[in-house]
Amino acid sequence: MKKNQLPSKFQERRDLLKTLASVGAYAAMTPLVRNALAATSNQVTLPFENGERELVVFPQKRPLIQQTSRPPQLETPFPVFNEGVLTPNDAFFVRYHWSNIPTSIDPITYRLRVGGKVNNPLELSLEAFKQLAEPVEIVAVNQCSGNSRGYFSPRVNGGQLSNGAMGNARWTGMPLKKVLEKAGIQAGAIDVSFDGLDRPPMEGGPDFVKSISIDHALDGEVMIAWAMNGEDLPMLNGYPLRLIVPGYYGTYWVKHLSDIQVLGNAFDGFWVKTAYRIPDTPCSCVQPGTTATKTVPINRLNVRSFITSLEDGAKLVVGQEILLRGIAFDSGYGVKKVSISTNGGHSWVKAKLGKDFGRYSFREWTVPFTPAKKGIYGLKVRAVNRIDQEQPLDPLWNSAGYMRNVVETTHVVAI
Amino acid sequence: MRILPPILSLLIALTGALAYLSTAYALDITLPLETATYKPSDLLGYHLVQQNCLICHSAQYALYQPPSSPRGYWEAAVKKMKTPFGATFADDDIPVMVDYLVKTYGAERSTTAP
Repeated sequence: MKKNQLPSKFQERRDLLKTLASVGAYAAMTPLVRNALAATSNQVTLPFENGERELVVFPQKRPLIQQTSRPPQLETPFPVFNEGVLTPNDAFFVRYHWSNIPTSIDPITYRLRVGGKVNNPLELSLEAFKQLAEPVEIVAVNQCSGNSRGYFSPRVNGGQLSNGAMGNARWTGMPLKKVLEKAGIQAGAIDVSFDGLDRPPMEGGPDFVKSISIDHALDGEVMIAWAMNGEDLPMLNGYPLRLIVPGYYGTYWVKHLSDIQVLGNAFDGFWVKTAYRIPDTPCSCVQPGTTATKTVPINRLNVRSFITSLEDGAKLVVGQEILLRGIAFDSGYGVKKVSISTNGGHSWVKAKLGKDFGRYSFREWTVPFTPAKKGIYGLKVRAVNRIDQEQPLDPLWNSAGYMRNVVETTHVVAI
Repeated sequence: MRILPPILSLLIALTGALAYLSTAYALDITLPLETATYKPSDLLGYHLVQQNCLICHSAQYALYQPPSSPRGYWEAAVKKMKTPFGATFADDDIPVMVDYLVKTYGAERSTTAP
């Protein structure tokens, strides 16, 4: 994150919080003091029916939108995305499936196991794992499959998220390929499955295990990270190791990664075979209100873009130029062009793209805007990637509420 | 205070030091207190939902669903908790719980407070 992009008030508060955290004082403060530091209000209303949510401080996190408390599911308040292209660790969203999550992990005794169709099954300490090969870094977006589900119309069930179940970080770790090569893959490998320390609360519930194909696992980009934005992963983001699958939805980014199995068959666990399925149609969509006849596992991100510098209802001054700013991203082909409309989509101008952090990263865009007369303006942003995938002007629909990527409209008032 | 034999004092000190070291290395977190609760109701399902649902997850899973959610959704959700998710409540509990959920959080809730 570029620190100079932060409003000074936020920066001061963050520095204070950091200092307090580093001396251990933060945890010891009374809740009253902590709340006074954290936010002026502990409630937000997401703009859909039944959208009232509490802002709650979880360990290693600033106040985030609490979707559920057990297991923790926390959404990033949208203004965070205007702080910089990298999402700070303490603001990064949290999503778990089961309530039996690790709350204490000793990095000395932690082990990563690799087994199945391999010549040399591995049981690696963190230290040994980090020395397998040269560490690599990648900046990549992690976005929840159901990000923005609350905006589906007709509404669909599941976590009722606004747009903050996404984040962009610099991940440091080891390519999965190096780990699998160390183990020695046997002929006939088809899928690779990934399990972490989180567990179902009830015996018999399907453990959260995900899989990707062996070819995908060996592409050199899928990696196992121990750091995000230069620091250890926060516990709630998968400490001490998580899988990074650039360009793919967050469901594959298994946290507290502890077990990798190379399989000689197609993985058939609940969380791939039954859950996280999308319609097998080119748009991954169906007629609203209907269900797909054929489905496939959710996979690559689609193209999205947002305005981050203004929120809905913001007030502008007639004749005064402002710089509109936001982010765009896709599944790794790279953002080619971002267009802005300030008249509800009648005409579009090309935005200037900011620094390139790599093709899996958020890409900042900016465009100057001067409201010419009083009134309401519908500001729209639309991105297209290098293989000409673009955002639809009207929302696509599926019954699970996945992959929303419609061109968003931010309404502002010029006075 | 009783004076301990030197060897015992040393052992205690060592144990303490080891415990300190291991906790110093481990990452421990304490989650905030859970405050969400199911809405009290005279419906029979209220107590069953408290008893059966809160074992595994916090109440927001139901509280935050779209108020338009029909009976069919709640029935499918409750059944899913048993199979395949492993909840152990009796089949007889299901219709009663579904009735409370749809009338409290879903499409059949009354517009006036219960």
